Amino acid sequence: MTTTAQALGDTSTYAKSENQKGDEVSSFFSARGAVIGVASVLALAVLARWYQGWASWDYGTESTSPEFSFYWMNLFYAQLILAATAFVAGIAYMWFTRDKDLTKITSKVELRRYSTFISMLVVYAFAFVFAGSFFAEQDAAWHQVVMRDTSFTPSHIVLFYGFFPLFIILGFTTYTYAMTRLPLYAKGVSIPLVLGTLGPMMVLPNVGYNEWGHAFWFMEEYFTAPLHWGFVVFGWSIMGLGGILVQLMSRISILMSDVFLPSPEPKTTAYTS
Amino acid sequence: MALEPSQERVLQELLKPNSQMSRFSRKLDYFIIAIVMFAVMGAFHIHFMLTGGDWDFWVDWKDRQFWVTVTPIVLMIVIAAFQAIFYQHFRLPIGATLCGILLILGEWLNRYFGFYLWSHFPMSLVWPALVIPMCLWLDLVLHLSRSFILTAIIGALGFALMFPASNWAILAAFRVPIEVQGTLLSMADYIGFTFSRTATPEYLRIIERGTLRTFGGESTIIAAFFSGFVCMIMYAIWWNIGNYIAQLGWTNNRLKSFMGFKKDDNVTVAEGLGGKL
Repeated sequence: MTTTAQALGDTSTYAKSENQKGDEVSSFFSARGAVIGVASVLALAVLARWYQGWASWDYGTESTSPEFSFYWMNLFYAQLILAATAFVAGIAYMWFTRDKDLTKITSKVELRRYSTFISMLVVYAFAFVFAGSFFAEQDAAWHQVVMRDTSFTPSHIVLFYGFFPLFIILGFTTYTYAMTRLPLYAKGVSIPLVLGTLGPMMVLPNVGYNEWGHAFWFMEEYFTAPLHWGFVVFGWSIMGLGGILVQLMSRISILMSDVFLPSPEPKTTAYTS
Repeated sequence: MALEPSQERVLQELLKPNSQMSRFSRKLDYFIIAIVMFAVMGAFHIHFMLTGGDWDFWVDWKDRQFWVTVTPIVLMIVIAAFQAIFYQHFRLPIGATLCGILLILGEWLNRYFGFYLWSHFPMSLVWPALVIPMCLWLDLVLHLSRSFILTAIIGALGFALMFPASNWAILAAFRVPIEVQGTLLSMADYIGFTFSRTATPEYLRIIERGTLRTFGGESTIIAAFFSGFVCMIMYAIWWNIGNYIAQLGWTNNRLKSFMGFKKDDNVTVAEGLGGKL
């Protein structure tokens, strides 16, 4: 049976090492990556919420004060640098370590990569919980009691410039992983995947519209104001994950039959149509 | 629909206890459940807080008119879409209930850590409304009828009607009329005045003075019926949108040559196209 490593020749060491793993289910589907990812996001969220509790009331209510600049604006600048670096690094890593010949990949390797892809989707969706649910509603709690005198409030710095970029980075990295390692997602652009992982990214540009409205219309803090509905529409796009699941189930059921059903013939999957 | 021989073999292998395939499939289930839970929680919560959130944040916004009317309508948008995805593609009649439970979980997390611990509002002011009974009803109607039309007519109407009913036990105590400095108020209004929300001065101008209608009565039922009417329409629209999203397919990837594919290589049905076949 031709292994991926033999067949690919000039492919990445990543793919070679991938094919040398065992046949046990645990080698196909390890929970380690997802657990580490989820724990990391959770740790970041706990840290951010603790910092908000500690520094918001004492140093975060007056944007012109030196304390505000020290405790909040420095956090904001640090987040911008980290987010931009992580965004470029994540996509660049996925692209430059890509599999350069996906046409001869074995079903076993592909199934293993789907497992990694699914683990990445778990971490991405978990980060979206903090951006779309926890810190988003907390924004209402803060701005109902503290009048905003800047766009960069203790709530916004964590939500818009911390957890929005985090799930966007994870979404783009996950998308690039799929495109560079999974044959179906390399050959075609999956519209549900674009919707589900890249669509919610648009909530970040929508922050510009949101702040513009708050700055020039002197909005009162109705959360249901039409000014906020851009976030709603782009939030809907994560429903694309439903379409991704349909695609995943279709492909994985074929791969499972290739890999796990006893067969006299060694199996490879032909990708060229 | 008859199964292909290969699909039958897969099913037989899955039914074997402790086979490699069944173990892999079980592990896959756990991961898929995690993705679904997180995605639904994030998507549904951001949608609801920005379309009906104000009525849900505050006990004095839980009025007989707009709270009763708006909440079921905006809930229905995401619930119908997810119910379509779950039922049409996975035959799971749990879409609505799952949405409701995860929304409540997300809301309680934030009402406690955000509104109570961070902004110091009392929980009696900021408790979220109950939505799980209505969601159970919607799933039940879909499960028994297997028809999205019947669910739109019977399920969506019941969904809206059950909303004030299922919340009444919690809300009744806040509707008790009291007199404060010569003005008739509900208990909920009094709590709202006491814990001022400095960023919503508009609210002070639109609050009603006490009349008998303020404390409920038939106007709640009228509002619930109107909400049910709109919910029927919303259900039909968003069921189809959810279904459409789940069937979206593929377009050409211009970068595929970098991964070793030729220009004419495209995703095919035989490879497990997913989406629209």
